Amino acid sequence: MNTPSFHDVEQLSAYLDGQLSQAEKTRLETRLQLDPSLVATLADLRQARSILRRTPRRRSPRSFTLTPIMAGIKPPVPRAVPALGWASAAAMVLFVLTLGTNILGQISFGANAPMLSAAPITSEGYGLGGGPAATQPPASDNSQVLPTPEPNTLTGPEATPPGESRLAQPPAPSSTKASSQPVSIWIYVWLGLALILIAGALLIRLISDRSFRRKADSKRNS
Amino acid sequence: MDEPALIRNAQHGDLDAFNTLVLAYQDIVYNTALRILGDEDLAADASQDAFISAFRALNSYRGGSFRAWLLRTVTNACYDELRRKQRHPTTPLEPETEDGDEMETPRWLADPDGTPEDLLDKAEVEHAIQHCLENLPTDFRTVVILADIQGLDYTEVASILKKPLGTVKSRLARARLRLRECLQSFGELLPSAFRLEEERTV
Repeated sequence: MNTPSFHDVEQLSAYLDGQLSQAEKTRLETRLQLDPSLVATLADLRQARSILRRTPRRRSPRSFTLTPIMAGIKPPVPRAVPALGWASAAAMVLFVLTLGTNILGQISFGANAPMLSAAPITSEGYGLGGGPAATQPPASDNSQVLPTPEPNTLTGPEATPPGESRLAQPPAPSSTKASSQPVSIWIYVWLGLALILIAGALLIRLISDRSFRRKADSKRNS
Repeated sequence: MDEPALIRNAQHGDLDAFNTLVLAYQDIVYNTALRILGDEDLAADASQDAFISAFRALNSYRGGSFRAWLLRTVTNACYDELRRKQRHPTTPLEPETEDGDEMETPRWLADPDGTPEDLLDKAEVEHAIQHCLENLPTDFRTVVILADIQGLDYTEVASILKKPLGTVKSRLARARLRLRECLQSFGELLPSAFRLEEERTV
């Protein structure tokens, strides 16, 4: 008994599955009648196929249905969230504007403060014949126009070298008038509002996400 | 089940429609993965991955057998898993003596193949088949699982594996012969119902 070639085995396997053309099938069936080795091989192939076809089927150990998260579906954004986001952005803009206005106001107030304070200083220093007026040489026209910062007025001429321009002196850092410019209450109002709105939007989003996941899980379990 | 309608709805993002399809096909998908991988946990993971990939790639489905399309996805997931296993082979934790030598216990000394009698006791027919399947090269194993266990025709198998029809035919013939030899080695382990029963019918 000859051992079938691999081509024969291939043909026999395809014959078993009905994959041969009519001509191939007829030719093979003729050979099968003459060659017992082909019959034996066909029986082997058939047995293998039969056993495989009867392989026990397992039930899947769990449900493979997808949750929206697994499927990459994002939970819907509640309508309130974008509204709160925009409101928060508006509050932030107002906060920045108010802050900017306040800073500009302080700068301009700081620049004006010496001029505003010049009158009383002049009246004290020059008008009443105080320290600086008595000891200093007569000031030039420019120096008279320029305001004298308060600290220098208070510390007297010994702090200012003669002939040094008073322009170079730093503006009154501890000027009680400048620092007493009130910070607008609106800065706090807008900042607080912006933060509250952001927190609100986040909270709503969090609650919505949780609810979405809970619903998805309960749907999947049911 | 109106499968085409469910597929259409799922393609438009209807997750409930897709999940109906999942429920219909999950056993086929899981069994295919189980036979290719030979491990229940890995098969479950591969099946889940396959359904996730299938949902995301659903718009690439252009008609034809949805079952074949799904089986292609799970086959790819199994190949990924096998490649991952090859890159990061895992070894079981083995007990060691104080000197660092491997501890000799009956469990660790046992022949992994076991005798036919042992296999008969613990594994029944399914385990014999799985054992023989795992001895086949992956490509041969997949062909025989798809054709003989899942009952797909040659054209479907060729389309799933993206191989020529001739390759499928040749691999299936080789795989059947090798499985026959392997199963023969189990001798009387196989119940009589599994012996040449079909020979009379063809």
